[in-house]
Amino acid sequence: MAEYQNIFTTVQVRAPAYPGVPHTEGQRDRVGKPIFSYWLGKIGDAQIGPLYLGASGVFSVIFGFIAIEIIGWNMAASVNWDPWVFMQQFFWLGLEPPAPEYGLHIPPLSEGGWWLMAGFFLTMSILLWWVRTYRRAITLGTGTHLAWAFAAAIWLYLVIGFIRPLLMGSWSEAPPFGIFPHLDWTAAFSIAYGNLYYNPFHMLTIAFLYGSALLFAMHGATILATSRYGSDREIDQIVDRGTASERAALFWRWTMGFNASMESIHRWGYWFAVLVVITGGIGILLTGTVVDNWYLWAVKHGMVPPYPPTGVPVPDPASLPGAL
Amino acid sequence: MRAIFTTRKALPMAVCGLALVVASGCERPPPQSTQLGYRGVGMVEYVNPRILAAQHRANVVPAPLPAAVPVPTTAGSVYKNLKVLGDVPITEFTRLMLAISEWVVPKDQWVNGQGCVYCHDLADMAADTKYQKVVSRSMIQLTQRANSAWNMHVGPTGVTCYTCHRGNAVPKYVWTTSPGLAKASGQVTTLQNRLSPVPAFSSLPYDPMTTYFDKDTNIAITPPKPVRVGMATTVNTKQTEWTYALMMYISRSLGVGCNHCHNSRQFADWNQSTPLRTKGWYAIRQVREMNQKYIWPLNDILPASRKGPLGDPQRVGCETCHQGVYKPLFGAPMLKDYPVLGQPAKAAAPAAAPAPAAPAAVKTGAEVAPASEAKVTARAGTTEGVM
Amino acid sequence: MAMLSFERKYRVRGGTLIGGDLFDFWVGPIYVGFFGVTGIICAVLGTLLIVWGAAIGPTWNLWAINIAPPDLSYGLGMAPMAKGGLWQIITMCAIGAFVSWALRQVEICRKLGIGFHVPFAFSFAIGAYITLVVIRPVLLGAWGHGFPYGILSHLDWVSNVGYQFLHFHYNPGHMLAITFFFTNALALSMHGSLILSVVNPPKGEVVKTSEHENTFFRDDIGYSIGALGIHRLGLFLALSAVFWSAVCIVISGPFWTRGWPEWWTWWPNLPIFG
Repeated sequence: MAEYQNIFTTVQVRAPAYPGVPHTEGQRDRVGKPIFSYWLGKIGDAQIGPLYLGASGVFSVIFGFIAIEIIGWNMAASVNWDPWVFMQQFFWLGLEPPAPEYGLHIPPLSEGGWWLMAGFFLTMSILLWWVRTYRRAITLGTGTHLAWAFAAAIWLYLVIGFIRPLLMGSWSEAPPFGIFPHLDWTAAFSIAYGNLYYNPFHMLTIAFLYGSALLFAMHGATILATSRYGSDREIDQIVDRGTASERAALFWRWTMGFNASMESIHRWGYWFAVLVVITGGIGILLTGTVVDNWYLWAVKHGMVPPYPPTGVPVPDPASLPGAL
Repeated sequence: MRAIFTTRKALPMAVCGLALVVASGCERPPPQSTQLGYRGVGMVEYVNPRILAAQHRANVVPAPLPAAVPVPTTAGSVYKNLKVLGDVPITEFTRLMLAISEWVVPKDQWVNGQGCVYCHDLADMAADTKYQKVVSRSMIQLTQRANSAWNMHVGPTGVTCYTCHRGNAVPKYVWTTSPGLAKASGQVTTLQNRLSPVPAFSSLPYDPMTTYFDKDTNIAITPPKPVRVGMATTVNTKQTEWTYALMMYISRSLGVGCNHCHNSRQFADWNQSTPLRTKGWYAIRQVREMNQKYIWPLNDILPASRKGPLGDPQRVGCETCHQGVYKPLFGAPMLKDYPVLGQPAKAAAPAAAPAPAAPAAVKTGAEVAPASEAKVTARAGTTEGVM
Repeated sequence: MAMLSFERKYRVRGGTLIGGDLFDFWVGPIYVGFFGVTGIICAVLGTLLIVWGAAIGPTWNLWAINIAPPDLSYGLGMAPMAKGGLWQIITMCAIGAFVSWALRQVEICRKLGIGFHVPFAFSFAIGAYITLVVIRPVLLGAWGHGFPYGILSHLDWVSNVGYQFLHFHYNPGHMLAITFFFTNALALSMHGSLILSVVNPPKGEVVKTSEHENTFFRDDIGYSIGALGIHRLGLFLALSAVFWSAVCIVISGPFWTRGWPEWWTWWPNLPIFG
C-alpha cells in the first residue's frame, strides 16, 4: 500500500523558463521575467510568468482597481477613516446599494451613488477580462470554451446585480459589497421570497455544484491513480488512446457499468460547472419577478412534505377577534 | 537541507497553534438539546449546560419581604398625593416601598440605611419634586399594566420592578435611538454593516428597536401569494434585513435560536410555529405600548443623563427584562408575593400619549415599503389554508 | 458482450481483498467481488426499507416522501420501526453500501494496477455522511439529530438546524466549504474548457499541445499549474469542500450553541485592537 501515489512531485526538473508558444505577433506584450517557485513545483508547474499585457487586460485591471478603491474608501469613510476600527470591523463593513425609494434613479454619491459606480467599474472590468480570455484563445488558435464558461458566470453576476434589480425596478434589490453584508443579503433574500430551498433552480444549482465537486474528485483521482501510465498527458490520450485511458475507463466501467472517455469527462465537467451558474441565474431571475414565495409555490405544486402536528395549531393573533 | 528541517518543525507547530486558537473559541460537547417539532425536522434547541449554569447564578431572585399584616386602613387615607396606590392597605404599601428601595435604589445611594431619599424629598415625602418619584409612579403603572393587560405575554408569572432593574436605578439593558455609529462627515449612514451586539453580532441593521418599538412598523415581510401578478410591487430584500435584525435582537435577548418560535421553512406560517411565537407577537406590541404610552411622556422631565444622544428617553426592549434568558429570571414567580403590582393600572394613567417624537436620524429601509400590503400576508395565507 | 474492444486483456484474476476467487467475476460490464455482494444486499435492503417507509407514510409523492429519524427521547437507543427505527436501519444499510462500494473500488484498483486515489477520495464523502448521521448525533446524545431521508424534508432540516444558529453563513467551516465548492467549480470549468479548447480548435486549425495549455493560462493570469498539477489541485479542492462541510455541521451544536455571528467576536476582541 505504501507505494508512490504521485501526490507531490519528488524530483523537479528545472529547464530554462519558457515564454510560451509564439502567438500571431511572436512574443509581443509578454512581460515579466519568469521565476521559479520550489513549493509550487511540488504540486504543479514551478514557473510563474510571463504575463500577457494587452489593452483589454490592462483596462480590466485598472477598472477593477477603481472598483475596489471605491468600495474600500467607502468602508473607510464609514468608520470615520480610523485605520484600527477599519481593520477591527473589516468583515462587517460594506457598501450598500441605494435605498428603495430611489428605485432606478441615480442617488447622491453618499446614498448609493458610490455603490452604482463601483458596480459599473467592476462590471466593465469583468467584461473586459472576458474579451481578454476570448482573444487569447483566438490568437493561440484554440477553441473559445473558456470564454463561454466565463460568460455563464457573468450571466449569474449580471442577473444578481443588474438584470433582476432592473426588472424589480429598484437598485435596492441588488446585493451590497462587503464580506458579512453580502451574507446578510443572501439570507435576507431567501427569507424575503419565502425560502430559496424550495426554488427548483436553486436545487439544480446546488446539485450541479455538488456534482462538480464529485466529478472533479472522480476525474482528479482517476488521473492521479493512472498517472504512472501517463494519463496526465490528456491530449495525447484523447487523440491516441493508451493504456492509461484504458485503465481509467475500465475502472469506472467495472465500478458502475459506465465510463466516460478521456475527452468526454471534460465535457461532463465543463457542463456541470457551467450549469451551476446558468441554473443559478435562472433561479435568481425568477425570484420576486415571477415567483414571490417559493415555499407557497411548492405548496401549490404539491411538493411540500406534510409533517404530523406536534401540538395545537397556533393561530395568527392578528386574525383573532378583538385583535390589537 | 536546513530550510527543510526548520519547515518540518514549524509546520506541525503552526498547525497545533492554529488548532488551539480555533478550539479555544469553541465550546465543548455535549450540549443539552430539546426537540421542538416533529422528529427529523431539525427544530431542536441546543443549550450549553455550562453557560446555562452561569446564567442561573446571575438570575437569582431576592427573598420576598415578610408578608404585611392585613389592615383596613388604606395608604391614601394616611398619605397625600397617592395617585396610583391609594387603595392599597397601608402596611402593604409600606412593604412595597421597602421592596422598591431594595430592587431599584443602588446601595451606594442609600442614606441611613434607607433608600427613600433616592425618590423622595425628605422634607415633604408627598411632593413630586424629584423626577425619580414621578418616573417611579409611571413605572408602577407600567408594571401594573403589564401584569393586568398583557397576560398573553407575561402570564401568571408576571413582572415586578426587579425583573428589569435588578438593583440598578436604570435597568442595565435599555436602549436609545442610535444616531449612527462614527462615520466620516458627509457620509449618510445606513444604520447597518457595523459590529454590534444588537443584531447578534451580524452586520444587519443595528437599531431595529427605534423602527419597530417606537413605531408600529410592519414586521411581516413574507409575500402571501406564490406567484406575482402584474408588475413588481414587493421590493423586499432590504426590508427583510430590518425584520431579520429585529429577530436577531429578540433571539439574543432571549438566548434562543429562530426555532424557539418558528419553523424556518416558512417563518411566516403560524400553523407551523411553536406556541411561543404568540407570546412574542404580544410581547412586541406590549413593548411598543410601554415605550409609547409610559416612557415617551416622561421625556420632558428626564435629565440629560437619562437620555440618548438624540435627546430621547432610555426605553425598554426584550433584553431589558429577559437579559439573555428565555424567561426572565428563569420564570421565578415574584409577582405572587407583591399582588399590588398585578392590579389593573389606575385610569389616572399616562397623559395622552404624544406620538413618539422619533428622533430617527434617517428613514430606514424597513419604513419605506408599504406596511399594509404585507400585513395581509398571514390572513390571505390563512384563508388559503397554507399559512 | 458488454466488453470494450481492449477490455479482455485487462480482465485478469486476483486483486481481491476478501473471498479469493469466489466472487471474482463480472456481471455485464460491472465487477462483482465480495463487496459487490455485500453492497447489493445493503443497497436492496435499504431501498426496500425506504419503500416500506414511504408506504406507511402519508404520501407517495417523490418530493414529499420522508423517512425521519427517531424522536430525541430515544437517545442513542433503537426506536420502533414506524417511529424512526426504519431510519436507523436504513442508515446502517447506507453506510454498509457506501463502504462496500469503496472497498470494491480498492479491489478494482488492485486489479488494474492503478493508485487508490478514487476510493481514498470517496472515503471523504463517506466520512461526511457518517459525520452527519453518526458522529454528530453521538456527540449530541441522540440519533434524532440525524437528517431525514427525503428530497424536501432534508432541506427543511438544513434550514432549521441552520437558523437555530441565527445565521449559518457566519459559520467559519461553512464559509470555507462554500469557498472550496465555488473554487472547485471554477477550477473544473477552467480545466474542462482548456482540454476541450485544445482538442477542439477552430475549423482548419490543428489540435494543440500541452505547451498551448500552459501558454494560455500564463498569458491570461500569469501562471499555469500544468497538466498533472490541475488534477492534484482539483482533487484537493473537491475533498476540502467535503471535509469542511463535515466540519461545519459537526461543530454546530457539539462545539457551539450560540449564533454563529457571535463566534466572530474573537477577531475584534484581539488584544491588538485594544
